[in-house]
Amino acid sequence: MSTIQDMGRYQYLSQAVPVSGAMDTLSARIANKAVGNGDNAAVIEFTYADAEFIAETGLLIAYVGDGAIFQSGEQVLPPERPLFIPSGTNIKLTNNPSGSRTYLAIAGGWDLPGILGSKSTCLTAGFGGLEGRTLKRGDTLKNDDKLTTNAQQIVQNFKQKLQKNDTNDTLFYPAWNIPRQLLLPAGRKTIRVVPGNEFGWFNGRSIAVFLSAPYIIGRQSNRMGYHLEGAVLERAKKDELLSTAVTPGTIQVTGSGGMVLLMADCQTTGGYPRIAQVAAVDMPLCAQLKPGDSIFFKEISRREAEMLYIEREQQLHQLTIAVQCKFYKQYHAKHRP
Amino acid sequence: MPDGALKIYYLSEVAVTVEFGQQIAENLLNMVNGLNKLLYQKPFPGFNTTVPAYATLTVFYDPVLVIKTDLPGTSCFEKVSAYLNDLSLQMTPTKPAEGDIVTIEVCYGGTFGPDLAEVARFNGLNINDVIKLHSAATYKVYMIGFVPGFAYLGGMDERLATPRRATPRPLVPAGAVGIAGQQTGVYPLETPGGWQIIGQTPLNLFDLGRQQPSLLKAGDTVIFKPVDEREFNRLAAR
Repeated sequence: MSTIQDMGRYQYLSQAVPVSGAMDTLSARIANKAVGNGDNAAVIEFTYADAEFIAETGLLIAYVGDGAIFQSGEQVLPPERPLFIPSGTNIKLTNNPSGSRTYLAIAGGWDLPGILGSKSTCLTAGFGGLEGRTLKRGDTLKNDDKLTTNAQQIVQNFKQKLQKNDTNDTLFYPAWNIPRQLLLPAGRKTIRVVPGNEFGWFNGRSIAVFLSAPYIIGRQSNRMGYHLEGAVLERAKKDELLSTAVTPGTIQVTGSGGMVLLMADCQTTGGYPRIAQVAAVDMPLCAQLKPGDSIFFKEISRREAEMLYIEREQQLHQLTIAVQCKFYKQYHAKHRP
Repeated sequence: MPDGALKIYYLSEVAVTVEFGQQIAENLLNMVNGLNKLLYQKPFPGFNTTVPAYATLTVFYDPVLVIKTDLPGTSCFEKVSAYLNDLSLQMTPTKPAEGDIVTIEVCYGGTFGPDLAEVARFNGLNINDVIKLHSAATYKVYMIGFVPGFAYLGGMDERLATPRRATPRPLVPAGAVGIAGQQTGVYPLETPGGWQIIGQTPLNLFDLGRQQPSLLKAGDTVIFKPVDEREFNRLAAR
């Protein structure tokens, strides 16, 4: 399944419009940074490696994520960096078993109309992205030609390099990459959670189990939520929760004691008790999980979760500057009087 | 507010929830909407949006902006809580927040309301009584949830309460007016649904072309007005 996503739609939650947006926002943002885009530029989210496409013109792209490796013929395209793809290149996605979602950014972002302030596909209501649906064979997409200064600089830099080699029909990319692993080790299976408002509704044994037993990602899992299979939780308090706001990362406990981890396309309100909230910094890890994967939950405080969030934002801000500097220096060194 | 201290809990790194109580009651709805209105008039730096529900108001914000403010507290949670507590002191509890009054035309029965006879039978009423009772009440929009534009309405006559259908329909048309237990509501989009469908409105409950795509918002008053098939078609063609 492939859809167009950006950082999501937050302004219409009161009208029950889901946030949507990239499941793995970290990978999507790094892909955008690699081509000099703002973080919110529209990207393609590929779930697994179910796609192949042809570049009809020369393109500046980047891809990040653990669901697929991009290949042109036998040549593997390295992830996490800008890539110049000459016109006519055929790119095939090859399955990467270590994750499930991969993001493709293009300089300028994919050119699609913003609906309710976002280009994300809202599958529930069928709007946003490309005609409110998943991408299908035969679709043509183009980039928005209003490039940011950063993206212009990268394009300029690549053009100079290609001219120097007297060619513009070779695949071209720098030797460096943006090591996403340093921000979040992809293989980690321990997901940090903050106790939810109804944490105390469960008995001590259930809480101990929740924080120590493995849980398996269920088969019906999708962009709305993951069913977590494992030890059933028991309630100490039998109250009914009056429906209230939920948000991606909320772990609800259903009537049968099973758990659902809400993901990007989740409902805006719900009435099941919330045992915990996944730390936002760990949601990209959850986005890469597949049915059958096993995870553990570890409790942290809300203050710690908040600090991790702010720290991550600072790191991502520094990353933008780092990419800027790479091209800024090279660009200006050439033009120095 | 009674004693100036709101009950506020953490939802996520980007949201806190203010809880006014644990029941469906109009005075709680008024408090939720009162604080919501005030917050939009006087937002704090980093404020994003809100989700009003039956008795809670959830406030979304950008932690990167909130942490830089000089609001009291050392975390975003503390800073936003302090701001909301302060703001709640400016609420006037005697004056309920006013929503809009929205009239929803409904063509009851026939192909538009395949379960109307069942609702009548279950409650020992005739079909006209059901239509009369359903359209005589004034309803309050308590919250919007489930799918975009879906309104949870309070105020249905208890004599109409009917359990959900044993088997949900695979597709209920957009605009279908249904009853489930004590609740009534209108499906904004074509979705699967288990409610007893008693009629259909030609109005578009969720329209991307409108500035506020959802026809209804929490705090609004709803009146259902019975129309015949001809009027339904005239309105639908508009």
